[in-house]
Amino acid sequence: MLSSAEVSNRLSGFPRFEDMSLSLPYAPRMPRGMVRETRKVVAIARTFNDEVARPRALDLDRKTHEDPDYMPRDLVELANRWGFYTMWIPRIFGGKGYNMPSMSYFAEEIGSVCLGIMNVIGVHYLGVAGVVASANTRLAKRILGEVVQGEKTGNPCLIALATTEPGAGTDVEEVELVDKGRVACHARRVEGGYVVNGTKVFISMGHVSTWTVLYAYEDLKKPSETTVGLMVKTGTQGFSFGTHENKMGQRVCPASVLVFEDCFIPDDQVLFSADMVRKFTKKPIREVTQRYIDYVVGATRPGVCAFGVGAARGAFEIALRHASTTTMNGTLLINHEWVQSTLAEMYKNVALGRLAYTEANYANSHRGLYKILQLKPVYYYLRFMPQAYFDKVIAPMLEKDYSTRLMGKLSYDWTRPEDQRCCSGWASLAKVAGTDIGVRNCQMAVELMGQAGLRQDAGVEKMLRDIKLLQIYEGTNQLNRLNVFKCLIAPEIPQARVFEEKM
Amino acid sequence: MLSSFKGDLKPFEELARSFAAKELAGKTEGHDRYPFGEFFHDVLDKACEAGFLGIMLPGDLGGTGGSIGTLCVVLGALCRADSSPGGIVFTNALVQEILLAADARDIAGEIFGKASSAGDFLVAFPSYANPAHQDNLPEYRRSGRGYSLTGPVDLLVLGGLARRAIIPARTGSGHQCSFFLVDLDHKGVLKSEPVFTLGMHACPAVDIRFDGVRARIVGEEGKGDEYFDRVSPALHVAAAAMNAGIMRGSLDEALAYARERFQGGREIIRWSEVSMLLAGMAVKADVAEMCVTLACQALEQGKAGWSSRCTASALHIHEIACEVVTDGIQVLGGNGYMKDYGQEKRFRDARQVQALLGSVPARKLDLIGKVAGI
Repeated sequence: MLSSAEVSNRLSGFPRFEDMSLSLPYAPRMPRGMVRETRKVVAIARTFNDEVARPRALDLDRKTHEDPDYMPRDLVELANRWGFYTMWIPRIFGGKGYNMPSMSYFAEEIGSVCLGIMNVIGVHYLGVAGVVASANTRLAKRILGEVVQGEKTGNPCLIALATTEPGAGTDVEEVELVDKGRVACHARRVEGGYVVNGTKVFISMGHVSTWTVLYAYEDLKKPSETTVGLMVKTGTQGFSFGTHENKMGQRVCPASVLVFEDCFIPDDQVLFSADMVRKFTKKPIREVTQRYIDYVVGATRPGVCAFGVGAARGAFEIALRHASTTTMNGTLLINHEWVQSTLAEMYKNVALGRLAYTEANYANSHRGLYKILQLKPVYYYLRFMPQAYFDKVIAPMLEKDYSTRLMGKLSYDWTRPEDQRCCSGWASLAKVAGTDIGVRNCQMAVELMGQAGLRQDAGVEKMLRDIKLLQIYEGTNQLNRLNVFKCLIAPEIPQARVFEEKM
Repeated sequence: MLSSFKGDLKPFEELARSFAAKELAGKTEGHDRYPFGEFFHDVLDKACEAGFLGIMLPGDLGGTGGSIGTLCVVLGALCRADSSPGGIVFTNALVQEILLAADARDIAGEIFGKASSAGDFLVAFPSYANPAHQDNLPEYRRSGRGYSLTGPVDLLVLGGLARRAIIPARTGSGHQCSFFLVDLDHKGVLKSEPVFTLGMHACPAVDIRFDGVRARIVGEEGKGDEYFDRVSPALHVAAAAMNAGIMRGSLDEALAYARERFQGGREIIRWSEVSMLLAGMAVKADVAEMCVTLACQALEQGKAGWSSRCTASALHIHEIACEVVTDGIQVLGGNGYMKDYGQEKRFRDARQVQALLGSVPARKLDLIGKVAGI
């Protein structure tokens, strides 16, 4: 038999065992309460689907074609009333504190009915991730506190996140690319804050959000070392909205153009900057910036996978209903063997996609952004302590500099590079897998249904239009494949270089 | 590509290209807003004047007298810019071919011989279905000297624009269908609003319900499936030519964008991952055009045994077209998903074109049935 040293040696070879199957080591460490909580989340999502999403999805899509400037304010108010904008905000910030992986199951459920509606709910959490991953606890407490208040008062307070620019999409997601890219959103340091000039495009829910996490650059020639994260409130002087993008799908969720003209942002709304980072780590700012990006997209890309799985499931369910009620040559479609095989393939795709986001969530839960929250003692402590304790004891501490420094150390200094690679790589892997599966299932459903599949009122053509966007946002699937290579393959190959291709 | 082998097609291709450049380029997003925007009647009138609504119809019946090759070069050039007019041209050609297959020259002459405008020329047809695969066709019965139809027809293409339609129907007990000419202004015809579909919005369809509507038989009773089968290989190739045109358009736009868009300090075409996407698109676009070219030649020469090969080529072209338009969006990233560019429309249109003449799985099963002789 092998000695324990030999076992370790064998398992450290490529692929490293700890990167291979994340559920195997991590599932037993999961607090059991997460299962009950996730069951509840799925039940809430299914209720919302029956009462809100399903009766409205197709009508809303049609409405957005009749009126391309339609804004989903009613829907936002409904989602706010259902409590969706605080469900995954940790209790220390006043939110409901549901476990983060449960959001993926929620996304699959709502996404199986309408990806646009899911995005109206879900993209807010991209903004939340941008706030929380910055480690700036003081600002996180303020902004997330406003979201919580917005739910109590019935005035929704949403957070958008703005990175993409007219001349730079993929570039802004990688520090290796951004210095060569054509970024133009400039943040000039002035007394008491920054003055921003520039334009951001394709910003989901920009028009209907109260806050925007804005990334700009102090030096446009060295953006990787001068990235600044700023919290900009809608209505701030110098911040306006341009056109409302005319998209193929997910039309109920607006994609906005954000314009900044001499827009002053005070110091107390600076979320992330080189000066702040230096207070808690000596690591190069470029490395920390990539880490920050990875934290955000590492947490949100598994969610995009779940969106894709949702669409894959929705397409499957529509095709199943069609096949169960339509005849061809006198026989129900469902009783044709090729149809059974097609439906089984679609079902298989859904199941595999679900496994992909589950694995990526295990990575984040134990080696990534929210690993502290998933430790059993922390999980139960956060779950069972009364809210008044967090409001009165913890909340004042979040205002202190030491709190931000501690969070910064935990997030950026006391972490292993291999954990970062594992989370980022698995997030990209899941995103590509889930969204490709979603597109594939929608295509299969349209084909299976023939002319019925072409009709907007049948639902599946809308799903095909909606799902295509998922192969593009949060980094195109092409970029995400390269990230899989960079994070999970290249470290084993010393001579491999990523984003340095000569051509 | 086809016109390189057959010089006599060049003028038609040039005509369609210049028509597309003048009437379609830069206006497709507006045209595609239908049914929530205006229908492009002006474009349709000009297409009629150019002879596009009767390309394969003999001259003595009011048509252009072209071949399947003529139809394909026109469809390819139109769909490279906008596939909606292509869908209209296709549907009218399908109707005319069925009339000719049924030897109903009298009906064709009455409709097209006296036509003076697009409105006169258009004849509606359920182009997205093979009647042989449909269990819910309208029912016909003899009524005096003629016939009457009762029942629904889904997605009757051009049904909201044309005054007439060719409708497949069965008797209550029979399996074979027959085709009928129907006046859509008849009081027993109930039409829906234009059905909002995935693609080709400016080639609209409506749902229809007939309630004892007077109808005129096309050809012989019970021979509808046979007529449809007879015209099917050529029309499969015509639909494939549409998707070959869409692929060419997608490649044009992707190449132009990739040459101009910068990422990581250089044009994206100079990153090998993007080049590989473009290469895949180019390979498929060329293969599609070669398939259409060869299929047209085989059809025109009446080569025995080539019908199923034509259908097979068409099915293959549709499949790769759907891949090309997906990659076409990817090359443009977020811009590819927006209506300011043409790629999102091609993504929708390619699927819509693929569905012409019936569902893909049913056509594949038909094909192998014919190849295997079962």
